Amino acid sequence: MDIRLLRSSDIPLIQHANLENLPENYFLKYYLYHALSWPQLSYVAVDVSRPPKTPYDYPKIVGYVLAKMEEEPADGVQHGHITSLSVMRTHRRLGIAEKLMRQSQQAMVETFGGHYVSLHVRVSNKAAIHLYRDTLGFKTEKTESKYYADGEDAFCMKLELDFIREQLREEEDEGKDKKKKALKEGEEGEGEDVDEGEAVGDVGRDPAKGSKADQKIKVKVGRGLGVGELIEKDESKH
Amino acid sequence: MPQTLSTREANLFRTVIRHYEDKQYKRGLKAAEQILKKNPKHGDTMSMKALILNAQGKTEEAFSLAKDALTIDMKSYICWHVYGILYRTNKNFDEAIKAYKFALKLEPDSHQIQRDLAVLQVQMRDYPGYIQSRFVMLKARPQLRQNWTALAIAYHLDGNLQKAENILSTYEKSVTATPLRTDFENSEALLYKNSIIAEMGDFEQALEHLEAECKGCLDRLAVMELRARYLTELGRKEDAAKAYRALLDRNSEHPDYYKGLVGVLDIAADDEGALKAVYDEYAAKNPRCDAAKRLPLDFLSGDGFRAAAKAYLTLMFDKGVPSTFANLKHLYSDTFKKETLPVLAEEYLKEHSGDSTTDGHANGDSSKGEGAALYFLGQHYNYFMSRDLSKATEFVEKAIELDPKNVDFHMTKARIFKHQGEIAKAAEAMDHARSLDTRDRYINSKAAKYQLRNDENEKALTTMGLFTRAETVGGPLVDLTDMQCIWFLTEDGEAWQRRGDFGLALKRYHTIFNIFDIWQEDQFDFHSFSLRKGQIRAYIDLVRWEDQLREHPFYFRAALDAVNLYLSMHDKPQNGANGVEGSHANGDDAAAEKKKAAKKARKEAQKAEREAAEKAAKQDPNKGGAQKSKDGEEMKKKDDDPNGVKLAATADPLGDAMKFLLHLLQFSPKNIEGQIAGFEVFIRRNKYLLALRCLKASLALDKDHPKVPEQATRLRKALEGAMGSLAPKVKEVIESELAAVPGA
Repeated sequence: MDIRLLRSSDIPLIQHANLENLPENYFLKYYLYHALSWPQLSYVAVDVSRPPKTPYDYPKIVGYVLAKMEEEPADGVQHGHITSLSVMRTHRRLGIAEKLMRQSQQAMVETFGGHYVSLHVRVSNKAAIHLYRDTLGFKTEKTESKYYADGEDAFCMKLELDFIREQLREEEDEGKDKKKKALKEGEEGEGEDVDEGEAVGDVGRDPAKGSKADQKIKVKVGRGLGVGELIEKDESKH
Repeated sequence: MPQTLSTREANLFRTVIRHYEDKQYKRGLKAAEQILKKNPKHGDTMSMKALILNAQGKTEEAFSLAKDALTIDMKSYICWHVYGILYRTNKNFDEAIKAYKFALKLEPDSHQIQRDLAVLQVQMRDYPGYIQSRFVMLKARPQLRQNWTALAIAYHLDGNLQKAENILSTYEKSVTATPLRTDFENSEALLYKNSIIAEMGDFEQALEHLEAECKGCLDRLAVMELRARYLTELGRKEDAAKAYRALLDRNSEHPDYYKGLVGVLDIAADDEGALKAVYDEYAAKNPRCDAAKRLPLDFLSGDGFRAAAKAYLTLMFDKGVPSTFANLKHLYSDTFKKETLPVLAEEYLKEHSGDSTTDGHANGDSSKGEGAALYFLGQHYNYFMSRDLSKATEFVEKAIELDPKNVDFHMTKARIFKHQGEIAKAAEAMDHARSLDTRDRYINSKAAKYQLRNDENEKALTTMGLFTRAETVGGPLVDLTDMQCIWFLTEDGEAWQRRGDFGLALKRYHTIFNIFDIWQEDQFDFHSFSLRKGQIRAYIDLVRWEDQLREHPFYFRAALDAVNLYLSMHDKPQNGANGVEGSHANGDDAAAEKKKAAKKARKEAQKAEREAAEKAAKQDPNKGGAQKSKDGEEMKKKDDDPNGVKLAATADPLGDAMKFLLHLLQFSPKNIEGQIAGFEVFIRRNKYLLALRCLKASLALDKDHPKVPEQATRLRKALEGAMGSLAPKVKEVIESELAAVPGA
């Protein structure tokens, strides 16, 4: 199993996985729309252990998250939305859905400056609700009556992504401190490492726990905040 | 001569255009009629009327009117533009390009015509034409960054990387203000340029550019991945290792990162301990990471493998991960591993047997522990490389005994039946698995698939109908077709084919063919959309994928089915035109019965479809019927051959097969099944050179394939009979080529 970014060539098998797993289906073009508007946000889980049958085998998709940014957010706040998420029944209990979600959330903040991520889930889908609420930290905003075509209600759920923004800001500061230190010591300053140096969001970590612990230790520097502000300002214009 | 309009009518003409743009077709028509009453020979108005008729679905009428308009006013760019639009909306892009070019000659400054033409050119992969169009557009509006990017894309797709880079750089130099860090278009354009530099193979420059210009790019992952790659290419191993470690911290489930890291660490290939230590570090860092624990099983051997596999299996069984077998079965190409894994599973079983009856049931999950190990062994003995179906049954039955309502266990039981050749029992067992969790579409899909394998098309459609949208007019089949559910259409077609209903089988294969047409057309809007969005790398990825679209196994399977069916239709012409297979050599009674059964089955299917349509129509009174005829809405074309009767009645099955075959040979030339089928079609059409080409391709792919000597002999024989009618040159070529084929 391999978790990686979605590619256009994956789409027929993503659509296939969706049709096998879920009652909410889409044209291929709708997947393309996601892949070409927000290519950083959608991830797939691939079964890499299948022996190839022909020279034209496409990697088998066993799970995917299809995500987007809300184009015209009603609340004026830039945020992401999960269009569809599913994992083949045969590949459950490996935490695939959670790992897919975390990768997507990370990119929502990094690339598009998202403040939160929202989604809909069937009120009867206990496993999914458990994942969103207990594992990922989503909160239920409201219930949308008869949201699904078959008449079932949906929970609208939402997760604030501050903890990722916070992490990014800290890394930024860390990077700048490092650079400063390096310059002080009179070294040639390999500034190249500055941005990518440290871990950016760890799959499989409790989001709330991780960020709070780190927050207390770090002292915020003005510059770091400045970058954050800049991102926010521009978003409201989109 | 074209007529000129009075002021009042000229105003009216503008309202026609406005109504058309607002999709107020009835009003538009009315206004157009008003003009035409006084000026029956006004070409532009006639063209606009044609455009509206086309939008209303009256294609033929529209084309004939547009042609009339052109004969009246050859010099009107509007007439040519409309003519182009008509072709474009009817997917005849080549003709559309011609018309657009005429329109542009008459109105060289029209931005809209130029833009439309450009899109058509890139859709048709006319890159020189596209470069030219984008060049003109850039000259008209050089202040727009989009226009620079678009010209760079045109050069890039045409293979001129250097020019593409130059164009992007020229724009960059012309900008004096520093772009905002949050300028997404800028961020993407920089990474696009970086990808072009890398594509030219200059990793030194690519890295330099990446570090100087792309540090702040918003697609952080891309920057990190590119950097790791360039550093590796440049042999800067230490930095590359650091870069891969940063990527692994971000996503420890991506095997490529481990591969990249190990590749730059200078570890001897046989130093398993050192290799494993790399993975162990990440397994320790991320307790929930699967890849770090599983991947070492690929390279470990002997006791090292045993120990790691034992630890891995224990963890997976304790957790009850159902995909454990699926994630390990690739190891079976190694005999030692194939033999070790079941032994370890048995050991686990011994240690844990009885657990489930004590604490297992207490927490109510017997798919963990003992159940998981039994399930693993059931799958092990069901797998083709380690098959022992009676043992498989034994283990799966034990698992079921432990947890009688476990869907996965029952699903495997159905698979075992399938491998025993008990197709009916398999379908039954899978349907039982389905009944244990009726809210899960996955098991529902599997049940339907097994019903289709058992030739129960009607039942399968009903099963599928449990999850398709109830409000879709036309029932589950229409929904599945609309949603492009290839697997169902393929399995359904194959089942109809086995049942002798060639009409419905062909119908499904043609439906799949059409879906691929749609997928190819789907890219059309993105040629302009992606320029606006600025996600250029993703767009390039799309264009390149679309160029290979029909190599997809989805296409291959359905197309090969279709070709083979057409071949058998050619060899055994049918009695009636109803598409039901004619008499067989194996006894007329059986054939007649089969025919009767197929006829009955189709009647049932039709009835089911009709009922579903009626039911659906009742549920949504607003829509009523398959056709929506509201003004402004496109009419859904009625299918005049829903059961494929016309398809099956073809007088030229081999000619029809060509449509499927050409794509098979073009896009999947390395698949021997396609070449074999190609030979069969060509030899029947007396195309000896083409048949020879397929044969030679097969030979190159697999010289030991039993079909190769057989086809060679047949080609030789066919040639002997036809040599007299062949041109001497052709004869000579075939003779010499055939001499190299064994068996001929």
